[in-house]
Amino acid sequence: MALATLRGVSFTYAYTNEPALRDINLTLEEGLLYAIIGPNASGKSTLCALLRGIVPLFHEGELTGSAEIRGRNLFDWDPAELSREIGYVFENPFTQISGIKETVFEEIALGLENLGMPSDEVIDRVEQVVEQLELGALVAKNPNELSGGQRQKVAFASIIAMDADVIVIDEPTSQLDPESSDAVFAIIANLKKKGKSIVLVEHKMDLVAQYADRVIALNGGRLVIEGPTSEVFTSPLLNASDIARPAVTDLAEALAKVGRPLARTPVTRAEAADLIRARMKGGPRANRSR
Amino acid sequence: MSSESGNSVAFGNRFRTHVDRGNPIRNMDPIVVFIVLVAIAIAPIAFPGFVAAAIVCLVYPVIALFAGVAREFLPTYLRLFLVVGLVLFVLRAAFIEGKDPLFRLGNIAPTWAGMEEGARFALLVMAISGAVTLFFNVATVRYLMLALELRGVTPRATYVILASFQSIIDLGRHARTVLEAQQSRGIETQGNIIVRARAFFPILAPVFLAAINQTEERAISLDARAFNSNVSHTHLVTLRPARPREIVFAVVVVAAVLVAFIGSALGWL
Amino acid sequence: MPIVLDEVAFDYPDGTPAVESVSLHVKDGERVAIVGQNGAGKTTTVKLMNGLLKPRSGAVTVDGESTANRTTAMMAQTVGYVFQNPDDQIFTSSVQSELEYMPKYLRWEEVRRDERVARAVALCGLEQHLETNPNDLPIAIRKFIAIGAILVGECRYIILDEPTAGLDVPGLRLLNSLIDHLQTEGIAVVTITHDMRFVTESFDRVVAMAGGTVVADGPCEEVFADDDVLKRARIRRPEVAQLVRDLGIPTTALRLDDIVHKIP
Repeated sequence: MALATLRGVSFTYAYTNEPALRDINLTLEEGLLYAIIGPNASGKSTLCALLRGIVPLFHEGELTGSAEIRGRNLFDWDPAELSREIGYVFENPFTQISGIKETVFEEIALGLENLGMPSDEVIDRVEQVVEQLELGALVAKNPNELSGGQRQKVAFASIIAMDADVIVIDEPTSQLDPESSDAVFAIIANLKKKGKSIVLVEHKMDLVAQYADRVIALNGGRLVIEGPTSEVFTSPLLNASDIARPAVTDLAEALAKVGRPLARTPVTRAEAADLIRARMKGGPRANRSR
Repeated sequence: MSSESGNSVAFGNRFRTHVDRGNPIRNMDPIVVFIVLVAIAIAPIAFPGFVAAAIVCLVYPVIALFAGVAREFLPTYLRLFLVVGLVLFVLRAAFIEGKDPLFRLGNIAPTWAGMEEGARFALLVMAISGAVTLFFNVATVRYLMLALELRGVTPRATYVILASFQSIIDLGRHARTVLEAQQSRGIETQGNIIVRARAFFPILAPVFLAAINQTEERAISLDARAFNSNVSHTHLVTLRPARPREIVFAVVVVAAVLVAFIGSALGWL
Repeated sequence: MPIVLDEVAFDYPDGTPAVESVSLHVKDGERVAIVGQNGAGKTTTVKLMNGLLKPRSGAVTVDGESTANRTTAMMAQTVGYVFQNPDDQIFTSSVQSELEYMPKYLRWEEVRRDERVARAVALCGLEQHLETNPNDLPIAIRKFIAIGAILVGECRYIILDEPTAGLDVPGLRLLNSLIDHLQTEGIAVVTITHDMRFVTESFDRVVAMAGGTVVADGPCEEVFADDDVLKRARIRRPEVAQLVRDLGIPTTALRLDDIVHKIP
């Protein structure tokens, strides 16, 4: 069963004229890491919100076409049930903290308390998540006193703790420094390994290239291309839509422009290193022969 | 890393038993504390003069001392006394007219009776505000809400109260950031009242806009944490059930205060 | 005339030091990127530059005058500071009125005002949005409205806090050309950023901070060549620079355009 099947989906928010999504046809499979990329106002957040039913169930608007989530029409889902099956982390870390808990530990536990999980299990579960995300230094802190980056990690942990099968994350690293961004992506990759389905919006293309299985590129509310990560990043459609690519992909294009193209276009640093190393070993002729 | 996770395990264990706030008074059931403090605060109303109120005002610091919150309580209470108490006393004492004024200062002619009346009024108000201050320090709103939740009040109701307290802090904090942003673009916020007034709108508008824009997102993220689920919520933090002697103590205090009021009504006091 | 921080220290309200013995200069027309982990003291450092914070010890002078006796609003005529979140700054109901706010507040003559607003509009690409309510525009454009509102002033130093966060490719292009233009006017640009590609493409000098101190200050090529500095400041090389490093290609080049010529 697919995670989501969208057929001809368009969505226009109430009180606006321009649709946020236009005629999207897309199937998302379970167990993969999808990255949604695209310029500003291209519909990335709206697509995330749609997968979780936030549009049109919370944010009003007009939805046309058909949207099926895990084999069931979006409108047939009980919103509470959908929110339990699909965890959702917003971009703004300041709206994610409940404001009613005294410590980060209790904040992470809130969702589990609400589900009525027995207390001892809640504690064990939170401890696991804290260890997994290396938040030990924060557990005793007041969540309302944290920095933006720390809040972002706590918000992420709070959703992970609830152990939903599917996790949708809108820009998980927007407030984080490079080291923390890498750490968050390593955790996300680990979640996927455990069988979770993950959909995220991300601007850091080098990270997307390294971790995502498939990429969904949007522009102006339309689907530009969806496919395996390397296929999407090397597609000419991306450049035409002004969508950022990994730095090494840009480098490969620049090399091609000066008449020294690589054997194929890399999207990760490791790939690029392999390609260039092969050429360095083979000497200039190896390149020409291709 | 391993030491950090070690900390969290130790930290999590504290939730496996009832909250121990490290002091017998602070460990009392917040509802018992609430009832006792309300009874003490209103008791002096039953008595004539200002002596009863003064005694009550002196009892609070003693309780605070035993509860281990003197450091938080005393400065606040002293400030209240100096600012609110003194003003109330002076206003009342100065403007109650009577015979035999103690001295004259223009239209102001305080009398001994006026001073007594002023002291009574000011100390009654201080008895009530002292109870409120002490309650915030000893029992805290958070634990009162928890006690109410454990007795069946819905989490929605307690959330509204707790989140309101937090949102006041958050709004204040955001206002400071906006203030800095507006100063950085040349809007003067220091100086005379007109200068400050001009900065009013540029600071308030972004703060309120953000608050309004974030409301829906907050609601949805709370929903994502299953806040609206129909099962009964677990309480990670649990309070020790009120001990019989605490309940007896509360009953005695309330009964004593009731007797005082009845006595007052019958003209015994 | 530069911004000079001389042995500056500042503590957070709880008493823990935010920056300690920080010394640095920002000269006319210079482009300086301050980098480092969250909590390294970057924001404190730039807030000291425009007088939002006054040092506990040491001195901060702008064009030879100490910030100690001047309010931030007074300093804003010299040092402009664009906050990371444009919504902390924007408050009027149209882009035009947002840009005109400062000149009107300062009661500038109309000619001067119109000229400065027109320049800001052109530099920030806001021509089509003048009548629009900023709240109806996407975050990337709101970021340029916030920058524009500062550029209307006649500052000689501009501080940009995380300007690339949330920007797409056209937005980045516009930002880079804006920074280039400011340099031609002799205006210094200081940025705080986690985006190392942005640093190396648009800035000449890097100040790497860690634990409230400056661990390195110099040309990008120099700072990014030093593994020890990168480790202490916990920062990364830009992706392609790291690639040539991994390959053992002997070059300190950081910009993609330069690296292209170094790859065999």
